[in-house]
Amino acid sequence: MSFIAIADRDQEHVLHEPQSFIRKYVWSQDHKVIAIQYAAVAISIGVLAVVMSMMMRLQLGFPDTFSLIEPERYYQFITMHGMIMVIYLLTALFLGGFGNLLIPLMCGARDMVFPYMNMLSFWVYLLAVLVLLAGLFAPGGPTGAGWTLYPPQSVLPGTPGATWGVILMLVSLAIFIVAFTMGGLNYVTTVLQARCSGMTLMRMPLSVWGIFTASVLGLLAFPALFVSAIMMLLDNVVGTSFFMPAIVSLGEQTNYSGGSPLLFQHLFWFFGHPEVYIVALPAFGVVSDLLSTHARKNIFGYRMMVWAILAIGCLSFVVWAHHMYISGMNPYFGFFFATTTLIIAVPTAIKVYNWILTIWRGDVHLTTPMLFAIGFIFTFINGGLTGLFLGNVTVDVPLSGTYFVVAHFHMVMGVSPVLVVFGAIYHWYPKVTGRMLNETLGKAHFWITFLGAYAIFLPMHYLGIMGVPRRYYAYPESIDFIPASAAELNQWISVAAMIVAAAQLLFLFNVFWSLRHGAPSGPNPWRATTLEWQTPDTPPKHGNWGKQLPVVHRWAYDYNVPGAAEDFIPQNAPPMEDAPKGRDHGVKA
Amino acid sequence: MVLAGALVLLVIGTVLFHFLSPWWLTPIASNWDTIDETMHVTFWVTGVVFVSVNLFLAYAIVRYRHRKGLKAHYEPENRKLEWGLTIATSVGIAAMLAPGLAVWARFVTVPEDASLVEVLGQQWSWSYRFPGADGRLGKSDTRLISVDNPFGMSPDDPVGEDDVLVSSPELHLPVGKPVKFELRSKDVNHQFAVPQFRMKMDLVPGMVTYFWLTPTRTGEFDALCEQLCGTAHFAMRGRVVVQEEDEFKTWLAGQPTYGAARAEIAGDPAAGRTSFAPCTNCHGAQAEGDRELNAPKLSGQAAWYLARQLNDFRNGVRGAHQDDVYGKQMIPFASMLADQANIRNVVAYIATLPDERPESTVFGDPARGRRIYETTCSTCHGGSAQGVWSTHAPRLANMSDWYMQRQLENFRAGIRGSHRQDYYGAQMSSIARTLADERAAADVLDYIHTLGQ
Amino acid sequence: MNQSALAENPSLAAPGATPGLRGVVADWSADKQAFAAPWGKAMMWIFLLSDTFVFTCFLTSYMNVRISTTEPWPNASEVFALAVGGAHIPLLLIAIMTFVLITSSGTMAMAVNFGYRRDRKRTARLLFATAALGLTFVGMQAFEWTKLIVEEGVRPWGNPMGAAQFGSTFFMITGFHGLHVSAGVVYLIVVAMRVLSGFYDRKGAYETVEVAGLYWHFVDLVWVFIFAFFYLW
Ligand code: HEA
Ligand code: HEA
Ligand code: CUA
Ligand SMILES: [Cu+2]
Repeated sequence: MSFIAIADRDQEHVLHEPQSFIRKYVWSQDHKVIAIQYAAVAISIGVLAVVMSMMMRLQLGFPDTFSLIEPERYYQFITMHGMIMVIYLLTALFLGGFGNLLIPLMCGARDMVFPYMNMLSFWVYLLAVLVLLAGLFAPGGPTGAGWTLYPPQSVLPGTPGATWGVILMLVSLAIFIVAFTMGGLNYVTTVLQARCSGMTLMRMPLSVWGIFTASVLGLLAFPALFVSAIMMLLDNVVGTSFFMPAIVSLGEQTNYSGGSPLLFQHLFWFFGHPEVYIVALPAFGVVSDLLSTHARKNIFGYRMMVWAILAIGCLSFVVWAHHMYISGMNPYFGFFFATTTLIIAVPTAIKVYNWILTIWRGDVHLTTPMLFAIGFIFTFINGGLTGLFLGNVTVDVPLSGTYFVVAHFHMVMGVSPVLVVFGAIYHWYPKVTGRMLNETLGKAHFWITFLGAYAIFLPMHYLGIMGVPRRYYAYPESIDFIPASAAELNQWISVAAMIVAAAQLLFLFNVFWSLRHGAPSGPNPWRATTLEWQTPDTPPKHGNWGKQLPVVHRWAYDYNVPGAAEDFIPQNAPPMEDAPKGRDHGVKA
Repeated sequence: MVLAGALVLLVIGTVLFHFLSPWWLTPIASNWDTIDETMHVTFWVTGVVFVSVNLFLAYAIVRYRHRKGLKAHYEPENRKLEWGLTIATSVGIAAMLAPGLAVWARFVTVPEDASLVEVLGQQWSWSYRFPGADGRLGKSDTRLISVDNPFGMSPDDPVGEDDVLVSSPELHLPVGKPVKFELRSKDVNHQFAVPQFRMKMDLVPGMVTYFWLTPTRTGEFDALCEQLCGTAHFAMRGRVVVQEEDEFKTWLAGQPTYGAARAEIAGDPAAGRTSFAPCTNCHGAQAEGDRELNAPKLSGQAAWYLARQLNDFRNGVRGAHQDDVYGKQMIPFASMLADQANIRNVVAYIATLPDERPESTVFGDPARGRRIYETTCSTCHGGSAQGVWSTHAPRLANMSDWYMQRQLENFRAGIRGSHRQDYYGAQMSSIARTLADERAAADVLDYIHTLGQ
Repeated sequence: MNQSALAENPSLAAPGATPGLRGVVADWSADKQAFAAPWGKAMMWIFLLSDTFVFTCFLTSYMNVRISTTEPWPNASEVFALAVGGAHIPLLLIAIMTFVLITSSGTMAMAVNFGYRRDRKRTARLLFATAALGLTFVGMQAFEWTKLIVEEGVRPWGNPMGAAQFGSTFFMITGFHGLHVSAGVVYLIVVAMRVLSGFYDRKGAYETVEVAGLYWHFVDLVWVFIFAFFYLW
């Protein structure tokens, strides 16, 4: 049966090759077009989130100079900022964007298994984004409950946007989940069922592994968010009491009774923690390929890398309550969750080591993508290690709810995966457009973003250690333990943030400028082994592979194979004689 | 090459920053120094990893940067090395986890001799309850909470009679005695956090959470809310005063018990009328206020607010700032009121006076004022500026706008609300500062005037 | 061309059956396909896995609020009793509903079976029967809801018999399940139409019928749990 299916695909390119502009670029079922659509929307809304963060930084750095935003605005901005960055930018960009682009190309498929559903996925995602934006114009503005949306606060007066704002946010999230599910099912099924012949799972590039695992996590984690969103909507609109105990809101008795606020926190974090790995795992995968390609060396310990990804994926479902050590849940849970949380550091550590050992004894070309990849390793180590402070329950107690947490997750999520996003864009832009991005601009962009982002978030740890709480609109001087120097530090942080944000313009300019003026790249500018670089035409046409699907004969990392003529051997190059023995790798087919 | 250098510099810079930065743990004031030790262990382990791993990374980049004829080594995997690193890491992890769990085990077991104090949170202030001599807290229920029963005490539980109710955000504790905090919230999640204590916990409506600690040094410590709880989250402040046992006892004795509070007879307007006589000179016979004499309208203002202000004047909490000229004028008159009974009478009398609408004297752009009022002020003062007891926010509608204008200025300039005991004033001044300028204030006041009728 | 590729290296066609864990891994990581199943079927399995998590979250939340709530929980067997000729028979309606749904699973299974025998008429008939049973179920559910709302005065935000969460969880979860059934009915009818029109004969595969069957059996299975949790606990 399986062969029938694949054989079908061989003819497919002759079948529906769309003609009209609309069918080709707008209402398109081509995974490559959908990928670009996803990326474009995600990055545009990401820019909005960056702008919001700048408003926040202005307030925090110069509270009295510009009174641009009142407390409400501030809380609405951090909420939108956080939610957009985590879900509508990074999740959508890594899975909808890179997932769509890379999975079929790297697995040697003609497209996703269900292209029409894939297309719907994007349009539904767009709808979710529009509903989210509608919140900005809703009466009362968007919700200001923080991206964690903890009830009862998120649905009671006293929090900005407690009516329309939060309703639209929840509806938007629900829609997003529908969109993601349609996409995610496609990604997972494509990886499992539609690889070209010879592409065994253990030959797949790690990018695919990362995105695949993240999609699985998404399919299993988003349900928790979906359910809690429904229940909170009912609490808010219908007046049920799922999350609402008896409450006196601003002096008025309410009709709520008997609900459990902690239930929401458990549901949210059962989604929330896997979510952070949904953002991290694709980055892990992609960066592995960037490192291997630009170090001209096979990824070190491929098997371990795969198992580490899977281990992290599984473990991420049993650590959620490390966000709730001091939430009032039974403190005895602390022992269990602290242990599981720190265990996650082991597989992650393996990945970090293997990345570095991939560079070791390699032939390191410091191209722009490579710079970003190495920048990622550095910032991720930093951010990951601070995670161990927070995971270790006792150490978390003083740090929880302070800027230490903010610093942790920006370093590990706001900086490192974002660096990978950039590196990946510099790496695959040639395949998508047929032109290179400008290296000089790229390097400038890297240095400012990398150093700048580190300068923004490193000092925040120390504010946190001192006890400076997060989600504070301002720090009245009447707080004795916060010295005046903290205010100065905040100014420096804000300045650094402005600079880094400005540097993103270089990137955006580069992207548009190179569309016309970039140097033609040819099919395989990085001399990479993976299938997407072996397509008959660049950019690949609808159906990707022309007449014949590729046939894979080796794993994805045959760089500098002893005895090979070139310093890289494409996965689909025919097997050659005198293959050195070794498990799956080497030239053995 | 440059990159490697940059990495090395970043590592060095990070380490230097770590040791030189003036921002570090606040001097500890509780028995939880073990938490600090665990943190230091973690710093050492992770620090070593951070430095060594990154320096190795930098070295690898330099050593194997692309040069003519350089060929990468072909080595798919190396089981020995990989497992070795895995085990080493696991050891490092265990070294951090073990002490952590040991300390946590002490956290979950509250010592028997720990005394009890209840922290009650609400948007956006704290109040506290001590068990009386019996050492037990009386029953309480959110459903019973009202302006006359802010703690939601259940009247028919004898145990509650001797409970000590502390309605101010200032909590006193004896030094060197273990205390178990029981945390209760009226409305949303909050978190009672004192950085110097290290230990902290969320307040969750519908349940009672707890933590324990032993204050180890006397002093005054800020209590912050570290769980986002709405617009004024950042202004939800309290203070913990750790003092010697006997000082603490005297303070505690000064606080009302639930029984006593209930025994208080309501204010008597008739008696209040006589005590109010001197006030009429400035505030007018009907307490309608007199701009010439800078005396605001009092009629129609909420009793709990008037009472609190009178007390603040008497205790030098209000009118303390040397620039608060008119505030100072009020102090002697407030001091004429002998005791709380007196105050209750006057307030009760004022409540009987007609609530005429004052004519407006401050003019701005009410439309703009509305936007500001509805985003910011209404959260505490209520949608129609009627005043909200639970946020301690007085009524603004139908009150003297010229007076409110001056108070706004005082709040912005820190002339009012800067006294350490004036917790709610401090809240107002941090909010007043969000007003761009005098014009914004005028706009708001003009809008507020339209709310009264 | 595929055949030729296979000729080149037959090892790719079927992963050698190695014993033990390695064997499992080998099979799974075979090229092209991890499962010997058509795409639609594989995707449906994955979707159902995800949907399982949805219902699991719903039911755990239900247990949680049932424990956390402060008022007493209404006695299910009384609330859901049905008066037949004056006699109160507890859980009668639900018993029938459950029976109907289980039966529909039976008809569904037969439909799949005939589908593989390429028996258009019978397949279609059985599919319609299944859909009909599904509709009956939804109808009875609607009846039960009205009974609860009109007679018992149960509302999502409260009810005379005790804990408000009783009504809210009941309406939310049975409602959500009801939506699944309704969606399934539509799905079945569409498939049945296509069976009749000979769409699948032309396509040369009746697997869609089986995929629909998977979904339908899942919905029934979920009902069994809901039944246990709401009516028997
Ligand atoms: C990409 C996102 C991402 C990633 C990968 C991580 C990774 C980790 N996170 Fe983080 N985390 C977030 C995103 C992320 N986190 C977010 C968004 C929040 C805040 C949510 C909110 O409240 O708003 C958060 C909050 C958060 C908390 C809650 C803090 C609090 O609110 O009180 C905790 C607590 O346990 C935690 C722990 C960890 C741990 C242990 C890891 C581990 O996976 C890290 C493992 C990595 C390493 C350890 C480094 C590499 C390893 C080596 C170099 C080997 C050598 C190491 C040793 C020998 C020790 N994180
Ligand atoms: C991916 C996640 C992500 C990213 C990238 C960022 C980026 C930034 N974040 Fe944010 N942040 C969060 C996730 C993220 N943040 C979350 C989850 C919260 C918690 C919210 C809550 O408490 O509820 C938060 C909260 C938060 C706070 C705490 C507010 C508070 O607690 O009071 C602050 C304060 O300084 C802050 C600042 C910044 C700054 C200055 C940037 C950056 O702008 C720094 C400069 C970096 C760049 C500009 C590069 C970013 C590039 C992209 C995003 C790609 C797309 C854009 C282009 C291509 C141009 N963020
Ligand atoms: Cu109370 Cu934040
Ligand atoms: Cu987490």
